Amino acid sequence: MMAQIDTSAAPGPGPSVPPERQPPHRGEKPVLEISGGAGRITRDALAELWMFRGVLWAFTVREVKVRYKQAAIGVGWAILQPVVAAAIFALFLGRYAGLSSEGVPYLLFALAGMVPWTYFSNAALNGSQALVANESMLRKLYFPREVLPFSSDLASLVDLLPGIAVLAVAVVLYGGSPELTWIAIPVPVVLLLVFAAAISVALSAINVYYRDVKYALPFMIQIGLFLSPVVYPLSSIPEQWRDVYVVLNPVATAIDDLRLIMLHGEWPSWGTSALALGWSLLLLVLGYALFKRLERGFADRV
Amino acid sequence: MATAISFDDVTKRYRGGREYRSLRDDLTSVVRRRPPRDVVTAVDHLTLEIAEGESFAIIGHNGAGKTTALKLVTRIAFPTEGRIRVRGRVGALIEVGTGMHPELTGRENVMLYGRILGLSRNDVRRRFDEIVEFAGIGPALEQPVKQFSSGMQLRLGFALAAHLEPDVLVVDEAIAVGDAAFQYRCVERMGELVRSGRTLVFVSHDMSAVEALCKRAVILDAGRIRTEGPAREVVREYLAGVEAELTGRGDEPALEGGGPLEIDRVTFHDDSGAEIGAVASGEPIIARLHYRTRGPVRGPIFEIGITDGRLGALGLASMFIDGKVPDVLEGSGWVECRFESLPLLPRTYELHGGVLTESGVGSIVPWQRLGVFRITGEVSAAGKGAVSQMMEAAPVVLDYRWSIEDGAGGE
Repeated sequence: MMAQIDTSAAPGPGPSVPPERQPPHRGEKPVLEISGGAGRITRDALAELWMFRGVLWAFTVREVKVRYKQAAIGVGWAILQPVVAAAIFALFLGRYAGLSSEGVPYLLFALAGMVPWTYFSNAALNGSQALVANESMLRKLYFPREVLPFSSDLASLVDLLPGIAVLAVAVVLYGGSPELTWIAIPVPVVLLLVFAAAISVALSAINVYYRDVKYALPFMIQIGLFLSPVVYPLSSIPEQWRDVYVVLNPVATAIDDLRLIMLHGEWPSWGTSALALGWSLLLLVLGYALFKRLERGFADRV
Repeated sequence: MATAISFDDVTKRYRGGREYRSLRDDLTSVVRRRPPRDVVTAVDHLTLEIAEGESFAIIGHNGAGKTTALKLVTRIAFPTEGRIRVRGRVGALIEVGTGMHPELTGRENVMLYGRILGLSRNDVRRRFDEIVEFAGIGPALEQPVKQFSSGMQLRLGFALAAHLEPDVLVVDEAIAVGDAAFQYRCVERMGELVRSGRTLVFVSHDMSAVEALCKRAVILDAGRIRTEGPAREVVREYLAGVEAELTGRGDEPALEGGGPLEIDRVTFHDDSGAEIGAVASGEPIIARLHYRTRGPVRGPIFEIGITDGRLGALGLASMFIDGKVPDVLEGSGWVECRFESLPLLPRTYELHGGVLTESGVGSIVPWQRLGVFRITGEVSAAGKGAVSQMMEAAPVVLDYRWSIEDGAGGE
C-alpha cells in the first residue's frame, strides 16, 4: 500500500458548487495508490503504521482483555507458569543434578531464567497466530496488518511484568534488597520485545501460507528452552563461543542481563546487549520486509 | 471534476480449490512443475473511472466480480495486476460485520473504525450519537459485537460507514439482508451523501434502487465491463438481458407458491393485448396474473401493488378493498388488472402481489415481487436539478401549480 499526496490532482475551488454542497476536506484529500504484487517497507508504510498507533493500542488492550476474560485467576496464570517451572527445575536440576547457579539459590536463578523465557515463548506463539486468529478482520477491514502481531507482542508484556514483580519479591524473600541497577530492567525487556516482534512478524506472515508453523513452532520453542541459558548459567558455554552465542540468541542476553541486574546487583553487559539489540533489530527489519512482501495476499489466503 | 476512483487495467485472480496449503503441497508442485490449478479470474483487465461526487452503480450477476472490485477499492484485497487510485477516505459496507471486531463492544468499534478512517477522537465523538441513533442499538452499545444479532451488526456497520464523513461510500448488496425499514433509511442516507457531494459506489441487484440512486452504472460480466453509461440505460439493458434469460428458460416456476392456487408469472399488456415491458407515463397498462389451481378455489382475494423499491407500495389494487372477488377459480387462467394511467416518473417499477384466502385471513400466495416493468418518457422539466431529481425524488407525478405572492403586494 502506498499513500501519496498527489498535488497534481488537487481540484481548484469550483465556483459553480454552492458551499454547502462541497465535500469536506476539499483539496487535502490523500490519494491512495493500490497495486498488487510484493510490497516493501516504504516511508509511507511506516507513516501509516504511525497513524494507526491508536489502533495498535486498541488491539493491544483488546488482546489482553480477551486472553484473560474467562480465566478465573486471570493474570495469575502468567505468574504460575514460570514459578512452577522454576520450582520443578530447582528440585530436579538444582538439587539432584546439582547444576551450577552462579552462586545464587537455584530457585531464584531458574526463576530469573523462566520469567523472560516464558514471555518470549508466549509472545512468539501468540504472535505467530495473530493473523490467522483474526482472519475475519483481515477479510472485512483494512488496517496495516502488522498491527496484529505487534499488538500481540505488546499484550504479552502483561505476562512479563507480574513475572518480574514475583522475581523481585523472591529476591527480597531470599534476603536480597533492591539495588540501583534495577532501573536497567527495561534493557532486557526491550531486547525481548524487539526479538519477539521480529519472530512474530515473520512467522505470522508465513503462517498464513503454511499452517505448518503452528506445529513446528512449539517444537522449536521446546528446543529453544535448552538452547538458552534458562536452567544452566551462561558461563557453561565455552568461552570462545559465548560472545557469538549471546548475540545470536538475544533471549540468552536478556536472561543474563536480568540475572546480573536483579540477582547480582550489577549493571547489564552493555556491549553485548547493544550487539544483541542490533541483531534483533536487523531481524525485525528482515521479518517486517518479508511480512510486507506477503501482506497483499493475506486476505485471499487466510 | 477530479477522479474519485480509477481502475487502471486491473486484474484480480484467486487461487481457488483447496483453501490451505502445506509446505508439502508447494514442494510437490515445485518438484513436479505442476501449474497452479483452479485459478479464478474475478476481475479481468478492468479500466474504469468514477468522478468525484458521482453516484455510480456496479451491477451484474452473482460472481461477476462486483464484490471483488469493491474489496480492491477498500484494500481488503489487492489486485494481481494493474493499479487503482482512490481519492479521499473510503467508508465501506461490504458484508455483514464489515469494519467491526466481534470481541469489542459497539462503542469501542465506533471509536476503532473512526481511527481506521483517520478521524480524531473528537471527530468521532461528535458523530457518535448520530451513529448510535441510526443503528438503533441503544442499550447494546456496551456489549461485544459478537452478541449482536446480524441485523444489529448490519445497522451498526452501515451507520459507521455512512456517518464518519467518508469521501467515498462503498455499499454492497449486504443491505438487502436488512429489513425494509432499514433498507429505506440506507437508501435515504446514501441519497443525502450524494447530494452533499460525496461519491457513492453501489452494488445491487435492486434495479429500482440503482436507478433511483445512481447516475452512472456499469454491467460487469465475468470481471469485464459489458456496458457503461447513464444508469437508466444500463439498467434498461441489464433488465432486458435478465428478461431474455428468463423467457429463454421456459416455464420454470420462479415464484413462491405451493398452495391450492399459484401465480405462474405476470405479463404486462397494452390495450390491444400485445405484451409489453414498458409503457409511457400516463398511458394505460394491464397487469395479467397467470394462475393455476389444484381443484376449485373459492373466493381468492387478489392484491397487487406497485413500488419503486422503497418501503411500502406507491399504490394498491386490492380486491380486499374493492370487493371484486371472483366466486370460484379452477384450472388455469389469468386475472387482469387495468391501470387507467400510472402518473409515475420514468423509471423501473416492481409489481408486488399476493392472494388472500376467502376469509381475508391468511394467504394462498404470499406477498412477493411478481414482476418488473418500466415507465418510459422524457425528462422535460427545466429546473436546475431536473435530471437528478427526476431520478432521485419521489416517483409519483402530481399535477401541481405554484403561486407566489411577494412583499410588494400581488402577483
